[in-house]
Amino acid sequence: MALSMLSPRTVVFCRTFKGISSSKAVLSVNSRCGPLLQTASYNPKPLRLNIKDPYIPDKNSEKTPEWQKTARFDRKLFGRHGSASGVDPASLWPTHEELEKIIAEETEWNPPLEVMLNNIEAREKEETAKQLAREKLIAQNMAKMPKMIEDWRREKQEAKKKLKEEKARKARLLEEARERFGQALDPRSAKFLDMVAELEKEEKKKKKLLKRRLREEQTAAPTTPAAAPSQ
Amino acid sequence: MSVTKNSGGKALDVLKTLPRITLANLRPEPGSKKADKRRGRGQHGGNRSGRGHKGERQRGTRPRLGFEGGQTPFYLVIPKYGFNEGHSRRPQYQPLTLKRLQYLIDLGRVDPTQPIDLTQLVNARGVTIQPLKRDYGVQLVDEGADIFAAKINIEVQRASEGAIAAIERNGGVITTSFYDPISLGILIKPVCFFMRGQPIPRRMLPAENMVPYYVSAENRGYLADPEEIQQARRALAQKYGYALPDISKDELYHMLAMRKDVRQIFFGLSPGWVVNMAEKKILKPTDEKLLKYYSS
Repeated sequence: MALSMLSPRTVVFCRTFKGISSSKAVLSVNSRCGPLLQTASYNPKPLRLNIKDPYIPDKNSEKTPEWQKTARFDRKLFGRHGSASGVDPASLWPTHEELEKIIAEETEWNPPLEVMLNNIEAREKEETAKQLAREKLIAQNMAKMPKMIEDWRREKQEAKKKLKEEKARKARLLEEARERFGQALDPRSAKFLDMVAELEKEEKKKKKLLKRRLREEQTAAPTTPAAAPSQ
Repeated sequence: MSVTKNSGGKALDVLKTLPRITLANLRPEPGSKKADKRRGRGQHGGNRSGRGHKGERQRGTRPRLGFEGGQTPFYLVIPKYGFNEGHSRRPQYQPLTLKRLQYLIDLGRVDPTQPIDLTQLVNARGVTIQPLKRDYGVQLVDEGADIFAAKINIEVQRASEGAIAAIERNGGVITTSFYDPISLGILIKPVCFFMRGQPIPRRMLPAENMVPYYVSAENRGYLADPEEIQQARRALAQKYGYALPDISKDELYHMLAMRKDVRQIFFGLSPGWVVNMAEKKILKPTDEKLLKYYSS
């Protein structure tokens, strides 16, 4: 591209030269000696630039479009025509104020590498701590798991047993009621409920009696074992 | 021309005599309004004004886009899930296989005696990079790793482990480096940039989410410690089972050891320099502040 910009003739010369060198390159590839030469020729698009009579816009003229009076366009002119453009090369770089602006923007948006590395490290640390805490919690809960399962099984069995007993008791009561009254009773009827209450009372009495007897036996028992060692 | 004492005195007098400005005596600026197009007048009267016969087409009551006449539309049938979230903002890396790289070298389109970076690859028409389509460079893919036989110093943006191994097995050097979109645009079209007459900017550092990739020696990142890279080279040679050629005794050592600075875009050109193609000149800044900024 650059070559073509300067003079089309040199490009042609280069191309012919490349044409010659390409045959050499093929030879060198075949013989496997010496460095490989560039064989593919690159045909650049001609850069249509008016170098002999460059267009330099008149800044004071009103007819010149505004965009041709900007610093950006001046830089472009210098890039195309070099010093022939009449642009001061010092104006290619940003002025001190512009530079300060650029630096301020960069410091705001582009943190230095150390800061980024620190941020990454901190974040990773936090994430690993979080992960470890979570794993610990899971391990703790998993340790509790067998006992909890055991408890749950026992509870379930007990509930089942209780339900069975209740059912058996009800059936027994109904059976008794039928024996007593000679007919099947509705379990919600007052007659039946009365009977149940009576039976419960009796049972309580029985229990009390049993308890008393047990206590008597217990009070009697220590005397005998106390007597036994003495014998 | 008579000069009034106070400027605008005559205009003020005129204004005083004129009626008050109200909505009633205001009218739009001439030319700011355009008369509405009147359909179906003159010879077109009684016709359909270019809208066809009857129905939703003529009355402009077409259903919304994607509507399938009451059936659940296709765009709602497929449940959405986050696989493609942010796909339009993800950085893209054009693939470059080792097979194609070998092809380019064999044809002489890429010169292996010089360090290869994106400029060489783009000039050889090996890859097409479009920074405006979120391309962030090329990724070196290990397809054709078994036939790859060139000793090169290449700089890419991403590289797979197999590709790194294939290049280092032949005594080459690979670096992965980041270019921000502006630097990338300059790198792939240097002449267009030089014609703009601007100083070469500093290459920006990668964003925080990309830093880990370029810091790690396993990826041969440009921000990694050189000693760690040496270790990683040896480790990779052991993993893939090849003897690592000693580069320091190579005749091309100077070329192979060439590396860009973190802030550098082109080999041999520092940030802050202006390259003038017309005069074949390089202009360097002398101002201290500028030098300090471009060297930092």
